Amino acid sequence: MRLLLIEDDPRTADYIVRGLAEAGHVCDLLRDGHDGLFAATRNAYDVIVADRMLPGLDGLSMIKAVRAAGVRTPAIFLTSIGGVDDRVEGLEAGGDDYLVKPFAFSELLARINALGRRPAAQEQKTSLRVADLEMDLIQRRVTRQGQAIDLQPREFSLLEVLMRGEGRVITRTMLLERVWDFHFDPKTSVVETHISRLRTKVDKPFEIPLIHTVRNTGYSLHAPI
Amino acid sequence: MNGARSSLLRSTPFRLALTFAFLFLLAFILSGAIVYQLMSAELTKRLDQSIKETHSLIAATYAESDEEDLVATVRDHAQFSQDSDQIFSLTDHNGNRLAGDFTAAGLPVGFSMFTATLPGVPPGTEYRAYSGMVGNNKLTVAFSLSETEALETIALMSFGWATLFITGLAVAGGAVLASRVQRRLDAIAATMVDVSHGRLGARIPLIGNGDDIDGVSGQVNAALDRLSALVDGMREVSANIAHDLKTPLNRLQMILESAADKTAAGKDVSGELADARTESLQINETFDALLRIAQIEAGARKARFVDVDVGHIVETIGEVYADVAEDDGKSLSTGLVPDTKWYVHGDRDLLMQMLSNLVENALRHCPPGTAIELNVTGNADRVAVHVRDDGPGIPAEESEKVFRRLYRLDSSRTTPGSGLGLSLVKAVADLHGATIELEERNPGLGVTVSFPAARSQGG
Repeated sequence: MRLLLIEDDPRTADYIVRGLAEAGHVCDLLRDGHDGLFAATRNAYDVIVADRMLPGLDGLSMIKAVRAAGVRTPAIFLTSIGGVDDRVEGLEAGGDDYLVKPFAFSELLARINALGRRPAAQEQKTSLRVADLEMDLIQRRVTRQGQAIDLQPREFSLLEVLMRGEGRVITRTMLLERVWDFHFDPKTSVVETHISRLRTKVDKPFEIPLIHTVRNTGYSLHAPI
Repeated sequence: MNGARSSLLRSTPFRLALTFAFLFLLAFILSGAIVYQLMSAELTKRLDQSIKETHSLIAATYAESDEEDLVATVRDHAQFSQDSDQIFSLTDHNGNRLAGDFTAAGLPVGFSMFTATLPGVPPGTEYRAYSGMVGNNKLTVAFSLSETEALETIALMSFGWATLFITGLAVAGGAVLASRVQRRLDAIAATMVDVSHGRLGARIPLIGNGDDIDGVSGQVNAALDRLSALVDGMREVSANIAHDLKTPLNRLQMILESAADKTAAGKDVSGELADARTESLQINETFDALLRIAQIEAGARKARFVDVDVGHIVETIGEVYADVAEDDGKSLSTGLVPDTKWYVHGDRDLLMQMLSNLVENALRHCPPGTAIELNVTGNADRVAVHVRDDGPGIPAEESEKVFRRLYRLDSSRTTPGSGLGLSLVKAVADLHGATIELEERNPGLGVTVSFPAARSQGG
């Protein structure tokens, strides 16, 4: 993917650019909000990663201006304030996701991947399929190898998020946000518990596991490679 | 302090007393001047009356047009008033004196003033005269003004003394009153100096008479109470932060040093790196939690408040944590009445986190086998969220402190947790205008967060 990073702290910028290059992405780095706005409106990027606090033009105003110019490129805010209002403000300004510093690079990468591969047109899927696992989104039924799997509503949502992100890493935080609408970090093993329940139902009765743990980061659902 | 006390003129009460005395004096002098004018006019009027009466009395003797009688009467009058208080003059149409003490040919008819120079009269004595024609002759009756002037002088003198006396009394009384007020102001100033020097225990002495200075002093004392409570809290927080962050920082340093040693020896350090990562995550989490609480307390979120169904939040949290509790050997149940909505005006995310912290707190501090119950009750005014457990509870004397930042019961020092969970609960509750009650259930702890109900309450 081709990415635009606007970040004024050299160490953070270096850390992100290096990581993205290793993951096979091309990344343009700018250090100023005005330059960022110019680049984001002139060139086509897959994802914009913008710091909230920038010299010249702050990240929030920059994304607002980008949206006002009609550019719909998905954008992730990086914020170091750890603020309770940052997420809402960021989303209202036209951002698609936000990440609080300090963050693990794997978390940023997972979120960039999730945004960048989002289908351009939000086509209405009626079913999802990964290997022999099938999910009927209309009737809210899950089957594997033709056998019906009985899931709680929340387990269904969890599996749906994992299946929609097939092959990609879905971090613990992303699951908390998307499945439970938790915008904070619980201190108990909420995600682990529910993943374990889901595995008992989806993977255990079958030979090949589909839900994989990605160490220190999250989970990924994919067919055996 | 002595400098301030010695310069009485700089003291506000004394200045006020002086200003007041000056204004009072001004009013006194003004009213005195008016009284003096009125009195003076009245005296002149009465004098004029007496003169006119005497004149008429003498003129009456001429009723029979007997000039001899008139001359004799004037002469009698002139002789009778030996002391020259009253003088008379009768002149013919040529201005020649027919009888009397003086010749008043030059005086106009009617009232007039003149200065007479007569034998036996101090020079410059003023007279009030009335001249009128009696037949062909002019009769003038003149009374000395010395009596009127004497009365006026007495009035002026007494007025002057009164003014002096009042001025003295006002200044002295003002000084006494001012110094009394000044002593109390000095006491306040001394207390504030003490406070600014760090002795936060200092309080302004109250007299107890309920006046305004006592009122202000009481409010300053109350503010000082709150300030010292806050400072105590801050001190405790700082000490706790220092302790709770220093410990993981020290561990981090040791891990890194051991990693450096291992690297020098060419050994694998991936274990140390993982440990260092965990430690730094923990430190960051603690800071995040502190910042988050500070931001919640700052109250910026209030602008985004909407009506939120607390019942739905409790249901969600119950659903999320039931499995977690079960895996932990505990049980979590909700006693919600189906299809009942409990609206409060608030922020959904924060309320979720608050309830999640309460549940996690119960999960963390209770032994396996504990039953945790969530519930919502309420009426038209309040919506109360209950988190009850039958675990070990909290000692009564600690229940006040558990909501303090980084406070941890001695018994829980060794269990994981930042000591910030309940502070966040308190911050969120405060932001929503909710009260928190801890209830000893023997066994167990009941936490009740009671919110003001939102307007859109209903089934």
